[in-house]
Amino acid sequence: MQNQRTVGDGLRVVIRALVYAVLGGAALLAIATVASVLGPMLALDLYTPPVAAWWTVFTAIAVQGVPFLLLGTIVSAAIGALVPEKVFSRLLPRNQALAVPVAGAAGVVLPGCECASVPVAGSLMRRGVAPAAALAFLLSAPAINPVVLVATSVAFPGQPEMVLARLVASLATAVVMGWLWARFGRDEWLRPPKRHTDPTATGLRAFTAGLQHDFLHAGGFLVLGAAAAATFNIVVPRSVLDLFTGSPWLSVLLLALLAVVLCVCSEADAFVAASLSGFSPTARLAFMVVGPMVDLKLIALQAGTFGRSFAVRFSSVTWVVAVLSSVLVGWWLL
Amino acid sequence: MRRYGPAVLLLLTGAAILRISLFSELYLRYVQAGLRPYLVASGCLLVLLAVAAAVVGRPEQEPHAEQRQHAEHGEHAGRDQQREHGEHDESGDDSHAHDQHGGHHSPRVAWLLTLPALALLLFPPPALGSYSAEREAGQRAAQGIGHFPALPAGNPVELTLAEFGSRAVYDSGRSLAGRTVRLTGFVTRDDGTWYVTRLLVACCAADATTSKVEIRDADAPPADAWVTVTGTWRPKGELGTDEAWPPVLDAVAVRRIAQPANPYEKR
Repeated sequence: MQNQRTVGDGLRVVIRALVYAVLGGAALLAIATVASVLGPMLALDLYTPPVAAWWTVFTAIAVQGVPFLLLGTIVSAAIGALVPEKVFSRLLPRNQALAVPVAGAAGVVLPGCECASVPVAGSLMRRGVAPAAALAFLLSAPAINPVVLVATSVAFPGQPEMVLARLVASLATAVVMGWLWARFGRDEWLRPPKRHTDPTATGLRAFTAGLQHDFLHAGGFLVLGAAAAATFNIVVPRSVLDLFTGSPWLSVLLLALLAVVLCVCSEADAFVAASLSGFSPTARLAFMVVGPMVDLKLIALQAGTFGRSFAVRFSSVTWVVAVLSSVLVGWWLL
Repeated sequence: MRRYGPAVLLLLTGAAILRISLFSELYLRYVQAGLRPYLVASGCLLVLLAVAAAVVGRPEQEPHAEQRQHAEHGEHAGRDQQREHGEHDESGDDSHAHDQHGGHHSPRVAWLLTLPALALLLFPPPALGSYSAEREAGQRAAQGIGHFPALPAGNPVELTLAEFGSRAVYDSGRSLAGRTVRLTGFVTRDDGTWYVTRLLVACCAADATTSKVEIRDADAPPADAWVTVTGTWRPKGELGTDEAWPPVLDAVAVRRIAQPANPYEKR
């Protein structure tokens, strides 16, 4: 009885496998034939110069971002795995209003561009740093670190006031944003970054697990941001902007928008700003202050790390504050 | 697949980065030469992480092993059923563990990384060419009129298009006058006239800007062809004004070349 059932079962399985193989094979063959005929035709039709340029810009932003993102996630994983929680509460002043400028000035120590700062700020929050202070660090780190300041002085030779203006305006924006968050920010906007690692894991194990997760997560959003930036890059030619060089006020707003759309990394944006020769120094300052703090790539990264409702509110307010602060500093220094 | 998802993603990304930076010079199509060591380091690190991810995935199975032992203790089930049961448990427990820790599988958005990674591994996108150059007006670095340092010796003297352009438009010392220069770039055309063009990249291809030199006295090669042009500067317009732009070169010789390893000029 048992034996018969096994034979019957075996037969049924064999027949089913045969049917599947024939049907599936036929379908695969059909798909393969159609694809091999139509595929190259379609691919050639679709692979026009703008599409090729889109792919190049898209991969370029992603490739450019990977080393910095990795640096940021290494620092953030190291903070998560190796630095005990007490350290930050001891280092930072208890009073939030004081902690914000200290954290903002501490941005000097992270030599990287903006991709690196988002995961680091996330891990700082996880380690119990007040969100206002961590956000001030998030904004200031990519803008005022030595690498960026040196790049700025190289891009604007003989104009040290530009470097000073960038430092002052960026730091001011970061600190003001930190204070604004401390005063008006609501915790429910901020989806606190979860602990991704096994709570029992320690040391190297936690470090690798955190590193993997943070990199993959942020990497996905980096790709998303790169796609958005490449699309704008191809759809809106930069020469359109030349129409607006006449009005000084309009040009500040325009370059501040351009900084959001272009997503140039903070270590290179000074060179781009220097090449925008038709614009006033204040407008170029606005480009360099806004760029490291608000751009499509960063909005995508922040949305991934802290939640969408946070990214939208925070980025739009930061944009306004950054423009105001660069106008004021530009009027004072430039 | 779910368990090895992170490992696969990290490996793909790392391999793509290594393919363009360590095993070829393709990275020059996308970023600046100075980034190479960092790219190689990140590529290696990503591959190592992928290996770590594949290995670390294993200790998670420890609870399943226990489960299987449990199943083996039940005497009633037939051997086949038992194995099936064990497998069911494993997959069920697997997803449960994932939900609990929420960390050991890759976040869904991470799969977007396969797009640039596969593109780089299979069909590396080309360097930006005449399409991008023609969309942007040629740009000249803003600078005041002044006295430039003397040109290096050599006949012809090799210059970047950016250097030629700024000397032609801003040099009150007229260092280009009477010198034979050689310029390298690709061809762009604009009804009737043609230009040797090169894109300048400060950081990555997203910030490319254009510099170009108008070529006279030579027939135009097809657009996007790479050429070296030897010739002499023809002064035009008043120094520092829009009329002086773009600079003009009277060509003596135009030679087709292969695309250089670094398609962009460094700013």
